[in-house]
Amino acid sequence: MDANSIISSLTGKFPEDIYDADIESDIRVIAKVKPENVVEVCRYLKEDLSFGHLCCEFGADYPDRNEIEVIYVIGSYDHPVVLTMKAILPRDAPEVESVVPVYWNANWYERETYELFGVKYLNHPNLKPLVLPQEMLGEWPLRKDYEGFPNKTARNLV
Amino acid sequence: MDETVGPSEMIVHLGPQHPMMPGPFRLNAKLRGETVVDSEVEMGWIHKGIEKILESKTYLQGITIVDRICYLAAMTNEEAYVGSVEKLAGIEVPERAQYIRVIMEELSRLQSHLLGMGEYASFVGFVSMFMYTIRDREDVMSLIDSVTGARVTHSFLRYGGVKDDLPDGFKDDVEYVFGNLKKAIDNYEELYSTDQIYKARTKGIGVLTADVAKDLGVSGPPLRATGVAFDIRKDEPYLVYKDLDFKVCTQTDGDVYARIQVRLDEMRESMYIIEQCLDQIPSGPIFPEDTPYGKRSPVMRVPAGEVFHRVEDPRGEMGFYMVSDGSDKPYRVKIRGPVYPTLQTLPPLIKGVTVADIVAIAGSMDTCTSEVDR
Repeated sequence: MDANSIISSLTGKFPEDIYDADIESDIRVIAKVKPENVVEVCRYLKEDLSFGHLCCEFGADYPDRNEIEVIYVIGSYDHPVVLTMKAILPRDAPEVESVVPVYWNANWYERETYELFGVKYLNHPNLKPLVLPQEMLGEWPLRKDYEGFPNKTARNLV
Repeated sequence: MDETVGPSEMIVHLGPQHPMMPGPFRLNAKLRGETVVDSEVEMGWIHKGIEKILESKTYLQGITIVDRICYLAAMTNEEAYVGSVEKLAGIEVPERAQYIRVIMEELSRLQSHLLGMGEYASFVGFVSMFMYTIRDREDVMSLIDSVTGARVTHSFLRYGGVKDDLPDGFKDDVEYVFGNLKKAIDNYEELYSTDQIYKARTKGIGVLTADVAKDLGVSGPPLRATGVAFDIRKDEPYLVYKDLDFKVCTQTDGDVYARIQVRLDEMRESMYIIEQCLDQIPSGPIFPEDTPYGKRSPVMRVPAGEVFHRVEDPRGEMGFYMVSDGSDKPYRVKIRGPVYPTLQTLPPLIKGVTVADIVAIAGSMDTCTSEVDR
């Protein structure tokens, strides 16, 4: 399976949900997905296009566009193509459906994106902070307008 | 995990500072008698915020920071970071520098496997093995030291090349060390395969099947021990790996014993790769001609764009997703460590085993908490 057939199969199956799909190179494909249907798209990717390996899932903050992107990087054990799929969420209330039912190892990635960016995952089995202490919840430290870094950590040390 | 305990059940907190835990994380295990009923991993004791730090450092300063993600895999972390910037900026690495990188990364894999295996052996009560592997690891560390000038955190790679060329007489040193190490690895294999108590504690324990391992997102030796030949060096070759002859070491059992066997075989393959590199390495520059980047330009601007670059770490798939906005600092860096999914699999894997097997299974995964927490 090569990059061209993946793109045509994906846009053919989800003409409404997949947009801005593009081929970067033989082994890199990018696409954007509507956040409402991310679970169905992921299930199709895993079951029909053999994208069985979720490399990572994370957020990126764009305050000038007032958007938070949730980026899914999905690879495969059978073919060398890696798909980068972005779901664009509003920055004031980012909410997206959890993909844990499809990709089991998304669990920790989503917990971390939640505590660092404030992306709320719906129907996540255990949405609580992973690496940060409970009292830092709500500060969203990896957002660009976070002011605690590095002053807060340095003050705590002395 | 459900915190309520039934009759004859209790919750035991293993770690974060437990001598038998591979790194500071806490395992809350609910036990019924000696058997684990349910468990949960808690992280965050050594969270360093490296992803945030990298956003506030220039690209050249970042090389020093990514060393600190995991000290055992410092060289491959650098390769993933430097490689992704090179992809973004379109820098071509000269062939000699690529060979030097491969040599250093395979040496790094050797020392990581030696420590990981020795540490694990002490978890299952085989403490003398730890002394043997640490002794032999020291020779490999000296080789790395003679090239990079540092034992653990090297800061050796640069955009478009490496910091220094190989020293004189490096090939002879490698031959001497590898002569001893090959005998030592045969010796370890014999010790592991003839010890009946060790076999009883590791054969058939913590079994992962190929389908489950793929489903859980595991990579590296734990996945290859189930029979899946997934290796980024073969599947998505970077540097000069496509010109080198090596095989992907797999086992089929997927238990603790098989994971250690995969590491033993991989160490032999690493030595074979290094020997090939030393025979094939061409002479030439270690930096591209007339590059705007390189070690003499501390400030560099990288064209705007996004890239995902992955390499094969000693523990599996290490990837960097980098977003550049055209300034001298990365806009967003995501570090996809190999242990992050592997450590997640610990709770389902230890369900139903006895307490004594927890450390054997956790140790055989060769987890690195520093990398999970970042």
